[in-house]
Amino acid sequence: MFKKLLIANRGEIAVRIIRAAREMGVRTVAVHSEVDALAPHVLLADEAVLLGPAPSSESYLRIDRLLEAARETGADAVHPGYGFLSERAPFARAVEDAGLVFVGPTPETIQAMGDKTEARRRMKEAGVPIVPGIVDPAASAEEARAAAEAMGFPVLLKATAGGGGKGMRVVEEPAALSRAFDAARREAEAAFGDGSVYVEKYLQRPRHVEIQVLGDVHGNVVHLGERECSIQRRHQKLVEEAPSPVLTPDERRAMGEAAVRAAAAVEYRGAGTVEFLYQDGEFFFLEMNTRLQVEHPVTELVTGLDLVQWQLRVAAGEALDFSQEQVRLQGHAIECRITSEDPANGFLPSTGVIGELRLPQGPGVRWDGGIEPGYEVGLHYDPLLGKLVVYGPDRPAALARLRRALDELVIPGIETCIPFHRRLLDETDFQEGDLSIRFLEEHPQVLEIRADADATRTAAIAAVLLEEEARRASTPARPAGSGGSQMSPWRAQGWPWNE
Amino acid sequence: MRYFVEVGDEAFDVEVDGDRVLVDGEAVEVTLFRGPSSKVGSLRVGHRSHALLEARRKGDERILHLDGEVFRVNLVDERTHFVREMTGGASGSAGPKPLKAPMPGLVVKVEVEAGEAVLPGQGLVIVEAMKMENELTAEVEGVVAHVLVEAGQTVEKDQILLDFEAPHAAAEEGP
Repeated sequence: MFKKLLIANRGEIAVRIIRAAREMGVRTVAVHSEVDALAPHVLLADEAVLLGPAPSSESYLRIDRLLEAARETGADAVHPGYGFLSERAPFARAVEDAGLVFVGPTPETIQAMGDKTEARRRMKEAGVPIVPGIVDPAASAEEARAAAEAMGFPVLLKATAGGGGKGMRVVEEPAALSRAFDAARREAEAAFGDGSVYVEKYLQRPRHVEIQVLGDVHGNVVHLGERECSIQRRHQKLVEEAPSPVLTPDERRAMGEAAVRAAAAVEYRGAGTVEFLYQDGEFFFLEMNTRLQVEHPVTELVTGLDLVQWQLRVAAGEALDFSQEQVRLQGHAIECRITSEDPANGFLPSTGVIGELRLPQGPGVRWDGGIEPGYEVGLHYDPLLGKLVVYGPDRPAALARLRRALDELVIPGIETCIPFHRRLLDETDFQEGDLSIRFLEEHPQVLEIRADADATRTAAIAAVLLEEEARRASTPARPAGSGGSQMSPWRAQGWPWNE
Repeated sequence: MRYFVEVGDEAFDVEVDGDRVLVDGEAVEVTLFRGPSSKVGSLRVGHRSHALLEARRKGDERILHLDGEVFRVNLVDERTHFVREMTGGASGSAGPKPLKAPMPGLVVKVEVEAGEAVLPGQGLVIVEAMKMENELTAEVEGVVAHVLVEAGQTVEKDQILLDFEAPHAAAEEGP
């Protein structure tokens, strides 16, 4: 096993990786930008290295600075987390060239699967079903339009180098294509430095179902069942669960085998995810993510495996010590992504300083977070603050637990998407597992956050009592004749009332 | 003291008079317990216990977390309320409201020019924040008066991006 691991990331995932490494006796090195000097991952790690100013391009994306940090601290392995450099083959190659271990697949695998066009071609060869579409990037809006008209609208424009919804646009009609094409190119260029965009058929009501795979350097590849991530907004996942509410054991086996075939086709090493669109028993390859996923905890909870620790083991050359037959799925897990976005205001990003944070506790609740009281949430990075994950013996139990845990979660100081999750849980179709990636388009009422009348009235009373308290605290000498001994019930208990 | 309180679309009249708390004229049995250092309080309405935390206090605006639910509250006391009523307030604008940046970000593209007539839903400015493009659209019909930003420019939250011409006097006179 490694002696010292450098984590080339920040936020909740850096914290998650540091925790896994610590439990294995591996020392940890955090890296950070100037604004992240007091971030939780920095405080938790054994060593920390400042990379540079806040913008990612001057800190977390600086390959030279990362390698220098590894050299200075004597780290022997680098974990990229997700996002940032995790799916950049040149980074994996640079890490290896520096004589360090990259925790992830080989640069060749990353390259092959990172180019979505190349990935689709390879999957087709390996016999994995793919969504109808053109395989090569469209050179112009006119070419994209011709391809779209051939397969029929609606179509999806996707960045060849993409992921996470960036550089992605649905186009319903020919007239909207040219503008969407330009926007997708611009977004792709800004996010990935590559503006290539391709066109594929847009399925009407599919679910997003993905399979977790794990491979070692000895040729073993297993799958760890599926995650359903159909609740998405603008192609960003918001809620993920395992298992899917609808997959039959036969379908699970078929998708699992296809995912293993996909992974084997690129000699996959480490943890990876094969994403599919699923509709009425059919499934189509979407893309493969050659890294740890944000939503990996739900798989950990239903399999009992620690995916990050397995990433480190297989990166160190260890063989998987269990077979496909030994993988058992038990219970049900659900994850809510908690982001600094305001659902009452079109999910606009929010910034501010985290106040007196209150986290849910108790049975079956896991919080994977990257914030602490006093931490300032800015606009430089991804809005993910943390993940609330619950586990229960079955889906109804997990839903009840999620409701309970969301009631306990309080993140003051910024707007968060917690009200969205609370509202989503009220929705009958969600409770019954009738999901699709169009869920929010089909249930727009979920995006209208309304409090109940009693709670609203209570909030009005609370505001007034707090106001009275504040006014009294700032007026040390109480006016004569106000009846000093005659304290109102709410005053009597108040503080700093009797100063 | 009497307060006028707005929570979302709901308005309440809350009066604190010695021991008594009246909500819209009705007496409510309510107690607020607060500790010496924590911002968290326990609000009792009867015996119902609510975890209470005040996250923001700025001018009339408050943000309260009540049992994990967030409330934006607007609060003015009676005196301020009447002073404002007498001085007229600031409501009733002439033309469409100027377009403001809803968050700090980078202007990617300005899609209209000064003098251009726009329709509701029409894209005006694309602002990128957190690596996502957000297209800001016209809420109502209007004519762009001034475009105050250009592509590549960084903007602050609430910065005015463009404004609209006041409607012609003739348009306001009905038939």
